[in-house]
This record gives sequence, C-alpha cells and structure tokens, in this order.
Amino acid sequence: MFCFETKQLTVGYNGKPLIKDINIQLGKGKILTLIGPNGGGKSTVLKSITKHIKTLSGRMFIGEKPADALTNNDFAKTVSVLLTGKLKTELMTCYDVVASGRYPYTGLLGILSGNDKAQVQAAMEITDAWDLRGRDFSEVSDGQRQRVNLARAICQEPEIIVLDEPTSFLDVRYALELLQTLRDMADNRGITVIMSLHELNYAQKVSDFVCCVKGEYITRCGTPEEIFTRKIIAELYDLQGGEMSEWVLKTYTET
Amino acid sequence: MRRFWVVLTIFIILFALFAGLNIALGSVSIFNSDSGTARKILWDIRLPRMFAGIALGGALALAGFLLQTFFNNPIAGPYVLGISSGSKLAVALVMIFFMGAHRAVNSGVLIFAAFAGAVLTMVFVLLAARAHGSATLIVSGVMIGYICSAITDFVVTFADDASIVNLHNWSRGSFSGTSWNDIKVMTVVVLVTSFAVFFMSKPIEAYQLGEGYAKSMGVNIKAFRVALVFLSSVLVACVTAFAGPISFVGIAVPHLVKSFLKTSKPILVIPMCFLGGAIFCLGCDLTARTAFSPSELSISSVTALIGAPVVINIMLRKKRSA
Repeated sequence: MFCFETKQLTVGYNGKPLIKDINIQLGKGKILTLIGPNGGGKSTVLKSITKHIKTLSGRMFIGEKPADALTNNDFAKTVSVLLTGKLKTELMTCYDVVASGRYPYTGLLGILSGNDKAQVQAAMEITDAWDLRGRDFSEVSDGQRQRVNLARAICQEPEIIVLDEPTSFLDVRYALELLQTLRDMADNRGITVIMSLHELNYAQKVSDFVCCVKGEYITRCGTPEEIFTRKIIAELYDLQGGEMSEWVLKTYTET
Repeated sequence: MRRFWVVLTIFIILFALFAGLNIALGSVSIFNSDSGTARKILWDIRLPRMFAGIALGGALALAGFLLQTFFNNPIAGPYVLGISSGSKLAVALVMIFFMGAHRAVNSGVLIFAAFAGAVLTMVFVLLAARAHGSATLIVSGVMIGYICSAITDFVVTFADDASIVNLHNWSRGSFSGTSWNDIKVMTVVVLVTSFAVFFMSKPIEAYQLGEGYAKSMGVNIKAFRVALVFLSSVLVACVTAFAGPISFVGIAVPHLVKSFLKTSKPILVIPMCFLGGAIFCLGCDLTARTAFSPSELSISSVTALIGAPVVINIMLRKKRSA
C-alpha cells in the first residue's frame, strides 16, 4: 500500500490545466522532491496536494482513502505544510507559532491540553527550537524561524509533510540541518515528505525519489541516480553549452 | 499569563472609575439638587448614556479587531474603511423616510438599515481591494466614507426642518439621547455578537498566520470570512444605529490592548478589547460632556484626538520594522 498516490491528476488555476496526468506513488517514510525551472509548476503541484487549490481532474489518495473524503480537520491531522515565503506574525512567541499546529486536535476555544503541550515541546526539541520558545517569532533569524515553522508542522502529527522550497532564505548550515531533520523524521517515524527544492545538490542527497516538473507534464520520475544524468538535467533546465552550464552538469551528474 | 491578570485588574479599576465619573459628573450636580431632579437626571440621562458608552465602545473595538484580522492590516477599522459612513447613510435615509411619514422609527429597523449599509460598503471595499490589492484598501475605504458622508449631508440638509436638529446631532456621533429601550436592544445584539466573536478566537488565531496556513490547519476559509464580515457588520451597524459614526476607537483600542498584553492571542485580546473599548468610550464621552460644559463636543472629536496619534504610531512602527 502507498502512503500517497495520485492517479491521472491534473492541476492548474481557474480551470486552466497546467500540469496533466500526474501519477505519483509514494510509500511511507519516503522523501519525494520536485525539481524543475522557475514557473515550471512545482508550487502548483504542491498546492494541489495540500488542497490549497482545487484539482481539475484525476484522483488523489492518502493511504487508501480518497483525499476528498477527508474532512478539513482529518486532512489537517494527516497532511501538514510549510508554505513558500516568510511567515509573518505580530506579537507571537515561537512557542505560540508551534502550538498553532495543534489546531486540529484542540477543542472549541483552542486551549492546549497536557498532551498538546507535550507534543509542542517534543516537536520543538526535534528541530532544536526549544530554546527559542519565549522569543518573539518576528525577531528571530530566518534559519531559526524555519526551525520553528518545521516544529509547527511536526506537532500537527502528520503522516505527510509538504514543503514548498523550504531551504530558500537559509544558509548552508541551516539548510542541511533542516534536510537532516526531514530525513530523520522519514526514517525513524515513517513520515512521508513531499517537497520542492531549487538546490540540485540537496535534492540529490536527501531524496528517495525525484520528479522533474516542467510545463505540461511531470517529465520524469525516478531515483536520484536515474534522474541526475547529464541528458535529463540539461533538458530540464535548458542548459545549453557554455562554461557555467558545463560546470553545473559535471558537478551534479558525474559523481 | 501574569501580565494578563495585571492588565485585567488595571482595566477593571479604570472601568469602575470612568463609569462612576460618568454618573457623578455633569453640568448639573446630582448631589446638591433635590432628590427628584437628581433621580431623573441619573435615571433618564446619565445611566443610559453610560451603558451606551460601554456596549457601543466594546462593539467598536471588537469590530476593529475583526476587520484588522480580516484584511491583515493594523490600521483597518470601521471608520477608516468607510463602513461606519455607509451604515450612517442607510440609517439617515431610513430616518428621513419615517419622519416624512410622521411615524416613529423602531430601533430594530434602524439596526437593520445600518447593517445593510455596512454590508454594502464592505462589499464595495472588498471588491476594490481585490481588484487592486490591499494597498488601495485604505484609500478606497476613506474615499467611500467621504462619498457616503457627503450624500448624508445632502439628504440631512433637505430633510424637514423639525428633524434636522435631531439628525444633525446623531450624524456627528453621540451617545446622548439613548433610551432604556435602546439600551435593551443594543445590549442583546452586542452581547450575543461579542460572545460569537469570542468563540471564534481559535480560527482567528490560525488566520493570523495567514490564509494558507489557516487552511492547512483545517479552517474553512470561506465560512470563516463570511462570519467575520457578518459579525463585524452587525457590531458596526449597532453602533451607527444608536450613536452615529465614531472614529478611531476600532483602530486604537485593539492596538493598545495588544501592546499592553504583549500578545495577539485572540482568546485574551478579544475580551480585553471589549473592556478597553468600553473604557475608551466612557473616558472620551466624559471629556466630550464636561470639557467645555455646558456645551458638548461630538464624541468623534475626542476619540480622534486620542486615536489618531495611535494610528500614526502604528504606521511609524510598521515602517521601522519593514
């Protein structure tokens, strides 16, 4: 059984199909990374998976259940997200931001129970953000912010985490920490990760599967070894000759 | 949490102080005059006026908080967005219509007219903001407000001589002339709506992180947005129907409350906003009544004098952090 599956899924905005016939099958605890050029449709695919935009046709399954069959609340207990762009807050501590991930589990007024608090602390410890708990979220660094945001996604206790370019704004150290945390979550807790990345080296290192998204179709899917070949990468990003292109291709496809 | 209790205690003391002063102070001393007159002034004028200040002040602050959440803009408020003025126009038209027909206006009808005016203006502002982004939100709100105020002035000028005085006072905004019957109606409407707002504090908190995250936590965004528009319109409508347009309370109070509490948690901010709005309006009304007694200032001149600097402060802070 797959943890996440799409059958002939077509996605796009305002009824206009952008990417067609997406067929993804992803097992529990695997990491899938979408790569491809800017404007190629990575975000559109991710936003459709997280139900932020309506899919146009085809089906999507979480475990055995069709995604449409889940209520908003049940879906939130299964899929958590890190959206692209910076999260802006006003007078919220890092703890408050993480605690908002407990939304689907709390009662009418959203008051945290003992278990909720334990989950928040555990998630913040996983991402090494517990020390930041009392700080104002808007005043910590980008790297720390992303740790807090990831803790928020983790304490939502999802089966699947979807991340849209989680490493933009991050320096190497924070980016690697984040990816390591995701890898650990996948390996140790069986959380399935679906994300988009710009940095090819990260995608190559962290993923179990890589899909190339460009234009109308997902052009190719496979293991990093299958995808990171000179031909596929050159085609995906339209790298045609030139010294820099040559250097990039050498770096990512001949290791 | 300790901070919350400290602020709450201070607020309760201020509330009691201003409520007491509103009853005790005025152009006629209730302590020296004979008991019959004193009782009449107290019972017919000052007490209803004080209750109106409490209920409508709280309503205004909550409406402001809801609109700021909805538009994700700290200087959004019922007055700035033109919603108060749109509501005012609708009420003026209904009042003139009834006065022309020589019939008394029922307060329920006034609230309904005010509500219709508020929702219509809100839809206008929403469309403007959707077409051109939130940068034009405040500008179009202010412009719609001016247009509605101008039309109100026209119709008031051409109304019957007898009704002009009445209308003119009301259209400038004032808590005076509130009857006990009005108090009953506004208390029910404001209390029910405020409780509904309080019970929305959980989705409001999620929405503060942005629409995308709120959705990912399971908030039904469409229903939530409709509820926000509805509740804020009811609150604004209630204020406008009974007291006319009152400026800046909706922006200043939520901002001050958040900075006192040092948190934006809705479950704490919402009740304190209500209390803060009540205190703010009691204080401003007291000033309006007593500063140049026996002549009376319009309440909006006082709320603007205190509220507008708060708005400037918000904008300066925003610039600095951006």
